[in-house]
This record gives sequence, structure tokens and C-alpha cells, in this order.
Amino acid sequence: MTLSRQSALGLYVHVPFCARRCEFCAFYEVPPRRADVERYLACAERELAELHLPRRAETVFWGGGTPSILAPADLERLAGATLGASGGTPEEWTVETTPATCRADRLAVLKNSGVTRVSIGVQSFDEAILAGLGRLHTTAQVSEAIGAVRAAGIGNLNLDLMFALPGQTLEEWERDLRTAIAAGPEHISTYCLTIEESAPLFARLARGRLSRRTPDEEAAFYERTWDLLEAAGYRQYEVSNFARPGYECVHNLNTWRMREWAGVGPAAASQLGLRRYANAANLARWAEGVEKGAPARTDEVILDEATLATDAVVFGLRMVEGVDLAELAARFPSHDWAEVARKASELEGQGLAEFDGRSLRLTRRGRLLADEVALEFF
Amino acid sequence: MANVLNKRNFCIIAHIDHGKTTLSDRLLEATGAVQKREMKDQLLDSMDLERERGITIKSHPVTVRYKHTDGTEYELNLIDTPGHVDFSYEVSRSLAACEGALLLVDAGQGVEAQTVANATLAVNQNLAIIPVINKVDLPGADIEGVRHQIEEILSIPADDAVLASGKTGIGIGDILTAVVQRVPPPRWADYPQARMLIFDCVYDAFKGVVCYVRVFSGSIKLNDQIMMMSDGAKTEVKEIGRFSPKMTACAAGEGLSAGDVGYITTSIKDLSEVKIGDTITMTADPAAKPLIGYKAVKPMVFTGIYPIDTSDYEKLKVSMAKLRLNDAAFTYQAENSVALGFGFRCGFLGLLHMEIVMERIRREYNLDIISTYPSVVYKVKLTDGREIEVDNPVKMPDPSTIDTISEPTIEASLHIPSGSIGDILALVMEKRGVCGRTETIDGHRVILHVTLPLNEILIDFNDRLKSITKGYGSMDYDLADYVASKLVKMDILVNGDPVDAFSCIVHEDKAVGRGRQLCAKLKELLPQSMFKVAIQAAIGAKVIARETLSALRKDVLAKCYGGDITRKRKLLEKQKEGKKRMKQIGSVSIPQEAFVSILKTNT
Repeated sequence: MTLSRQSALGLYVHVPFCARRCEFCAFYEVPPRRADVERYLACAERELAELHLPRRAETVFWGGGTPSILAPADLERLAGATLGASGGTPEEWTVETTPATCRADRLAVLKNSGVTRVSIGVQSFDEAILAGLGRLHTTAQVSEAIGAVRAAGIGNLNLDLMFALPGQTLEEWERDLRTAIAAGPEHISTYCLTIEESAPLFARLARGRLSRRTPDEEAAFYERTWDLLEAAGYRQYEVSNFARPGYECVHNLNTWRMREWAGVGPAAASQLGLRRYANAANLARWAEGVEKGAPARTDEVILDEATLATDAVVFGLRMVEGVDLAELAARFPSHDWAEVARKASELEGQGLAEFDGRSLRLTRRGRLLADEVALEFF
Repeated sequence: MANVLNKRNFCIIAHIDHGKTTLSDRLLEATGAVQKREMKDQLLDSMDLERERGITIKSHPVTVRYKHTDGTEYELNLIDTPGHVDFSYEVSRSLAACEGALLLVDAGQGVEAQTVANATLAVNQNLAIIPVINKVDLPGADIEGVRHQIEEILSIPADDAVLASGKTGIGIGDILTAVVQRVPPPRWADYPQARMLIFDCVYDAFKGVVCYVRVFSGSIKLNDQIMMMSDGAKTEVKEIGRFSPKMTACAAGEGLSAGDVGYITTSIKDLSEVKIGDTITMTADPAAKPLIGYKAVKPMVFTGIYPIDTSDYEKLKVSMAKLRLNDAAFTYQAENSVALGFGFRCGFLGLLHMEIVMERIRREYNLDIISTYPSVVYKVKLTDGREIEVDNPVKMPDPSTIDTISEPTIEASLHIPSGSIGDILALVMEKRGVCGRTETIDGHRVILHVTLPLNEILIDFNDRLKSITKGYGSMDYDLADYVASKLVKMDILVNGDPVDAFSCIVHEDKAVGRGRQLCAKLKELLPQSMFKVAIQAAIGAKVIARETLSALRKDVLAKCYGGDITRKRKLLEKQKEGKKRMKQIGSVSIPQEAFVSILKTNT
């Protein structure tokens, strides 16, 4: 079994600090107290130094949290350690930012270090909706941030947007999308609001101050999004991701393709050397583990061929290109591919997929039901 | 051993809630059978369930000694009787063991449906009836009105009715005096051979099958060779004793003689081999004639009972076998349903009996169960002239082979406040009933005599009667004839496949309404899937109602990156487990909860 080709290894660094908690966010984050930041940087440096990747990481992704909340000097420190671990300048290096922190001084440091791609968590261009989400920025700051990225000479910009937000109409969402398109980013990610139990919005939901949208309503938002972005020249390549040709996020493509990635920082996940695990989702516990040389990890799974093969199909089908069953059969020969092909034909018969005996991809209706489809292969 | 002339056998008959059990407790206390501090409230109702529901399911006899004012000590046997219509056969057997009955009427409630039914049974058994007006201490007591009702409705002289209160103990002495003076001494005591009546039978975990007997003539002791007169079965007395009030074995060499009430155990191991109402005689010198006719009790109401968790099937099977040991009227046999898996077709005397058995399975055996729509036994005449009985809609033959279907009916008497006649008549009409004569009890109450199909009272008739009459209405019924009726089997189909658990037999005129309700409810309960699901109600090939559950349009996680894979996998595992618990009907998965909700709501 081959988990990976020599060329596909990603390095993910989680920066857990945020200025404040967004209403929709279920990620692990803490406020940026100086002592915590110091401890984080020291431990991240050590974890990166001790990583000893088997080969060069071709992609790097700094996610969060808000990586750009770090001061320029801290960013430089973390970038140095990252480059030390990655084994050279990566071909794609993404850093997540927020409009308020996406500033020239930081962008300069990032550009200098080799960052190729910046993602801005815009979420919405609508002031009222932004306020409702507990965001710390204004639409003016979004424009400034976009300008700053361009000024810094970073040629691959992503805007993160959210839809089906509380009180949002389809028309308002369409307006957001058009504004985003007009800003001319190379990449747009659009996320349907998902209210997870650990997100502050969930409490509002539980108290009955917010009602969930029906799947039909959400489907309408999805379809409008896909139509609009396609028409504007953004090719959909995954359920929530769109890019101008050649600007797809390679780091993420490799996770859906079940390649390898190494995660550094609290809550960061890894899939490396036939093991899948996550670092403890708590700054102190993670740091203590690193300091003691005994990493605090959770959800560790030893990957077998059947698990990887299933995951490669299930998660691969989120991509518009779908999965190449012949290629997967070569990587994971012991899996029951005849059964997969049988299910694939069934899905095709139901109008949920296209299957030519080798390549299996979901239709638009199938992609909206990707989780139901996943159950068929699970 | 007391002289036969100094024995009295009596019972208490009453409508539910008129205070029978409390009064019994007072009588036991007054005669010193139990000390007050030993008494749990309502001593005779030994099952928790009975105590909780305030009803007696099984009758428990008690023997007490009572020193009368004339100085003579009397042996009094009190036989408690079940109060519910489902158990009227048991009531009649208990009455047959007595010479007299206390007819208990609540001073506030007055004569009610079961008062009349039970009084009629007692009169038919030639028992001396002593009217007792109970709860006279309560503010709402209308003693004169009740006296009047007893005379008018029951044609029983009420001048000498005893006024009592089980709660405060008023009238307890008067009752004991009346029992001694007005209940005749044991009858048929001089019959040449030994005859004793089995008036009840229970299964005891230690003793096995225990028969409650009333000795009419002769005597019986340990190791006697005895014979059951209904089928000539011979056995031997293994243990013999009295209820004082706990089961107490007789001293060596002693036994029971004419007029006594007690219990015996024999070599019979299976409760179903003992017939309540049977006469025991001595093998060596058998009686020529039994005491009274033995009648087999037949279950009237049937339902499928299934474990919610299919792996509980064996446990359910064991619990049914144990319940059957204690309850010969309950029948069961294995069946399986496409929708619900393996379970049992169970037969009951009536609805209360069904509820009680199901409750006991849930509580005493800690099992989650689901029951299908209850059914009665239909008689189906086929076109080829054969007649078959059908107690399960699934077994109803193809309509083209059916000539006629007959259904059991009941003759019911509804005791209701005059003001609710209109609404009750509407209810009776809705339930396909026919109203016969109407009797006026007094200015406020009437009795409606109606004929109703049994299947129409299975679900909510009694509840609605109670709610329309604000709790004042009551009902009693006797089974009547089978009547040919325009009945049809209605199936519920999902995407064309029938769901057997939802099949039911309904009157043609009601099929469309009920079909619509079921389809609408099911649409609400079924989860959306990747396909459109047609939900139909059909009679044979003819669809009479239809709903469409639209296909699910969106089910996809918005964010799914490297860090989300493990969590997503766990979610998928869980969904897959959930799917396993669903029932696959053709292409549609139906969650267990949908079955439970539909079958519980009985729409």
C-alpha cells in the first residue's frame, strides 16, 4: 500500500490566538496573552524542529485561530521554524488572516518568508450581518486588507465567505458574492453556516432565538452560489471551494486525496506514516507535552488499507474531479473495488454520480448530498 | 374446625374506585386478621401495579375469625373480586364460591355501570345481597339518592342498606353483623360426595400452580387423590392450607371441609392445565354432577408485541412464558413482521388486560416493547364456502376470495349524565354504534343501551366517554353476536411496498379518513432521503390516500479539511449504526421511532 507519492506532503501549523471568539466558530482558539504567545512560539519551534519530515513538504498552511494576529517579529520567528521543518521553500504557503490583522507590516514579513497565498476571513460584506456574527471588522477594513495583500505582491488571494447566515436572504448573499467577485481574488471559499455545539451561536439556537434553515433552503443558497461563481470564471473544485484555473489550494487537495500531512500546534491534525492523530486541543496541555518531549495527542488511529481506501473515496468525492478508481486500486489493492464499482453504478443510475468505469464524480445533485453518498461507501 | 353453620362466605362487588379494597382492609383490621401497623394500605392488592392503578386484577381470599355479639365465633371467608369488565368471568367464578355479597356503592358517585353488571351477576348466582353505601363521610354524599338508585335500578331493597366509610371505619361493625345475620350458611353442604370449586389459580414461584378452592361438600386433606371433573384428570394434593391472610399450610392431619376456603397445590405443573370454574371431587368416590359449568375464557383482543431492540427477543419470550404461568387468559405465539422483526401475537380478554400485561413486561422484565394496532377476531366467509377466523390483518385473505367478513359486537350500557346524551350519541354514531333503549336513573343520569362493534372500542372509546362526561360516565359491556360488516383490509405502502405493521382492518366508510391520517403522520415521521418517497394507503390494488415525501436536497458538510476527517468518520459510523437499526422496506429505511410513534398515536 502506498499512502503517498513522493511529491505530496503538507505541513500544517495551527496558531490558536484570536482577538475574540466569532459567533459561528468551533475551532480551538484563545486570547493572545503575551505569556501564552511566548510559550506557544517556543513550543511550536521545538515541535517543528523535532518533526523530521521524511521529505520536503511541498505545501505549508498556517491556519487558526488567526495566524496574522502575531506581531511581525513573532511571525518571522514562526516562519523561520517552519522553513526549517519543511525542508526548503514550499511551492504553496497559505496564511489565514482576518481583515483587521491583514496589515502591510505583517504581509511584508510573510512575503519575505516565502508565503504565496493569503486567505482573508471576510465572511460577509454586510455590516449588519457582520455585527450579528460578532466580527471585529468593518467592510472598509476588508477593502484595505485586500489592497494590502496586493500591495505586498502576494498573487494568490482567497476570500472566505459564509452564507445561510441568520436573517440573510438569497439576494443579500448574492450581493456579497458579487462584491467578492469584484474584488478580484484568485480563490473564493464559501461556507454554509453550520452551527456546531461548541460555537456560541449554538446557545442562541438552543434558546430558540435562532432557527435552523431547512435543507431545501440551504440547497437554494448552494445552487445560487455555484451558478454565480461559475459564471464569473471561478471553477468549483470542491463542495465549498472555487478558483480561477491553476489557483486551487494544493494543500487541501492533498488532504481530500488522502496524502500525508503533518500538523504542528494545539489541535493540529496529522496523517503521517500510516498514523492519523491530533494534537491536544488545549494550549497548556499541548505545550506541556512538547516541553516534556511526550506529545499530548488524541484520536490516534493506525491506518489500514481499507480505512484509507474508503476515506479516499468518501472525501475524494467532495472534489469536483471526483476519484480515479483505477489509481486508488493501484494504491490500495486489497480493497473491495468491485463493490465500490457496483455502488458507483448504482449512484449513476440514481443521477447522483457520473461513472465511466474508472473515474467517479458526483453530479451537482450528488455533491449537495455528498454525506448521504458517503454512507453508501462506509 | 368450625361448625358449617358458623361459616360465612361472601365477597364485595363494586364499580372501580368505589372503595372496595379499602373497605376490605378495614374488615381485616376489625377482625384482627392483621395488625394495623402491619398493614400496607390496600393489603389485598398484592401486585404493585394493582396498588398503583387502584384496581384489583386477581382475587385474593382471606379467612378471618369473628366473634359475634351473640358470643359465637364465626369463620368468615372474604373473597375479593376484580372490578373490571375484562375479568367478568373471574368475577362470576368468585361469586360462585360465596353465599352472599356486599354491594358497595359510593355515596357520591351512585350506581354505575359495573355496579349494575356485578349486581346482576350476583343475583344470577342467588347470592344474598347486602347493599353498603360507602364514603358516607364525604361532603358530596347523597345517601337518599343512592338508596333510591339501588331500589330503582337494581331492584334491591335498600331500607336496610349499611352506611359505611372504609376510610374512617364507620359501619364496619354493622357490616360484620349483617354478614353473619343476612348471608346464609354454606349451601350444598350435605351433597353425598365431595365437591369443591376452583375459583382462581395462580403461579407461585416456590409452590408452583396454586388453586384457590371453596369446599362445598365433603372434605379434603394432604395426599388425597382428587379428580378434575371437566376432563377427568387425576392428581394428588401436595399441599393444603388457608389464607390467614397469608397462605398458611394446614397442620398435619387437618384439611378443609364444607364451607371452607383455602388453597391446594397438586402435581399439576402448568397453569393452563387448571381450569378456573372446574369442580374437584375425590377419585375414590366421585360426584355425579359438577357444581357449575366450566367455561373456557377466550381472548377477544389481539395485538403483536415486538421488542424495540431485536436482540431482546429471547428475553421477551422468557417474560411471556412467565406471565402466562400466572395468567391463563393471556395467550401468545411467535410471529414475525417484515417491519418489526421477530415478536409475538398475543391474545387478551380486553383492553385493560392488554395494558396490564404490556406494562408488566415493561416493568417486571425491563423490556422496551412496541405493539401493533390491536385487532379483534374476525370471521371470514370465503367464496369457496369455508369460514376462517382472522385475528391479524396481515393474515386477511385476498379480497377476491372473500364472501363476507363478520365482526364481533358488544351490547354496552353507558351510564352518563343526562346533559351529555347528545355528545355521547354522536360518539356512538361515529363508532358505528346503534342505540337501543334509554333508561333514566334519576334527574341527572341515564343509561344508554347500545350495540357497538368491538373493534371500535379498542382504542379511544372509553377515554372519550370519560372526557365527554367529565369523568362521570361509565361503561359496561357483554359480548354479543358476530355481524356481517363492510370491512376492508387497508395497507400502507412506502414506495409501493406494504409495511405489514401498519396494516389494519377498517370499515369501508372510514378507510379513506384513516388512510389519510396515517399517510400524513408517516410523512411527518419519515426522514427525508435521497429519493422521493410515495406514502400510500391502499385497499387491495386501489390507492385511497397518498402523500409524497420530497427528496432531501442537501446533506453535505460545509468544511471538511484534514482536521475534520476523524470527526466526520465518527459521525458516519454513528449514522451507519442508526441506519442498521432502521427497517428496510423496499428502498426506504424506516426508523424504529416512526413505528413507535405511529403505533402509539393510533391515529
